[in-house]
Amino acid sequence: MSSRSKWKRWPGWLALMLVIVCVLAYGTAKEAGPLTPEERVEQITQQIACPVCDGETVYESANPASAAIRAEVKAQVAAGVSSDDEIVAYIVQQFGAQTQLLPTASGFDALVWVLPAAALVCAGVGLFFAFRRWQRNVDAVPDDADRAMVEAALAAEEAAPAEPEQPDQPEGPDDEADTGR
Amino acid sequence: MTEPVTTESADSPATPPRRIAPFVVLGVAIVMAALFFVLASGTSGSDDEVGIIDSPLLGRAAPAVRSTTLDGEPFDLARRKGSWVVVNFFNSTCAPCRAEHPALVEFSEQQKSFGADGAELYTMLQINDDIDDVKNFFLTRGGDWPIIRDDEGTTNVAFGVALVPETFIIAPDGTVVLRWAGQIDADTLSRLVQQQREMYAGA
Repeated sequence: MSSRSKWKRWPGWLALMLVIVCVLAYGTAKEAGPLTPEERVEQITQQIACPVCDGETVYESANPASAAIRAEVKAQVAAGVSSDDEIVAYIVQQFGAQTQLLPTASGFDALVWVLPAAALVCAGVGLFFAFRRWQRNVDAVPDDADRAMVEAALAAEEAAPAEPEQPDQPEGPDDEADTGR
Repeated sequence: MTEPVTTESADSPATPPRRIAPFVVLGVAIVMAALFFVLASGTSGSDDEVGIIDSPLLGRAAPAVRSTTLDGEPFDLARRKGSWVVVNFFNSTCAPCRAEHPALVEFSEQQKSFGADGAELYTMLQINDDIDDVKNFFLTRGGDWPIIRDDEGTTNVAFGVALVPETFIIAPDGTVVLRWAGQIDADTLSRLVQQQREMYAGA
């Protein structure tokens, strides 16, 4: 029975995995494509924090410094020499690391990207082993000792009369029945 | 006979966590200790000159600045080589900038008294300042030094100026030697320029 239920469960997991892989592949593949200069400016300025205001990107900030950065990004995009990362790096170099919204994927900062993925994998592996252990316990076949325990419990249940339901009886027999169980 | 069954099923899930727990605790403790040291050894602002701040430009050639003055004259910072240059970043809507203005007027007069050796003072505008407001401000509050427009924002970005007022001192060879953030008074600015002059002559 256990092997049949296992096989019944697998296709669902496989189908789910397949769907996830397809969606991820489509998502990453779709990003590739030519961007207009306006879209590039938008994308770049959304990666830069306004250097003087809290919690605003350069894209949305009305601050003069942000306006200057927007104009600079626009000019550099129009010049077409630097890549997006190079433009962001230039701004961050001038205004300090606190303007960098996306952590870099190299050096110590790479931990920010690696640790969550590692935690996810560890959690998945841990769950896998935990599920297997629980399943093993559930599938354990009852032996004679278990049967004896169940029979004894059932016999005790039958032997004890359903006295608590009778309204006229005082509390004495109730206590006796409880201790008997 | 019932005992072995219950102990086995109860112990097998319970024992591994008991063995892992000390290591988890140790790991968390190490991370916390590392965080503590990183934060404790952070930059401590122990500077008697409160306005002097770091800049990637220090010790390097000043960024190219090609623009026009408020009067429509062309301006090129590279052509200022040979004399000390003080660039003050300004916005007519910024209260500390307006409060700072008399100090700059005083500094300008001081430097003029040095003749050809005096530092040149320039005001650098921000990208979206109202030009008429700036003109009015300088007309009423004085100040006859050139005011440079930065309509593309390039200069403010190149100098990394996010919050005005800021003041940069540029050596005669075009090297940025000092950056001051916030309001400055005339004596401090004169003293800093003089300091840099002496260091420059000694080098």
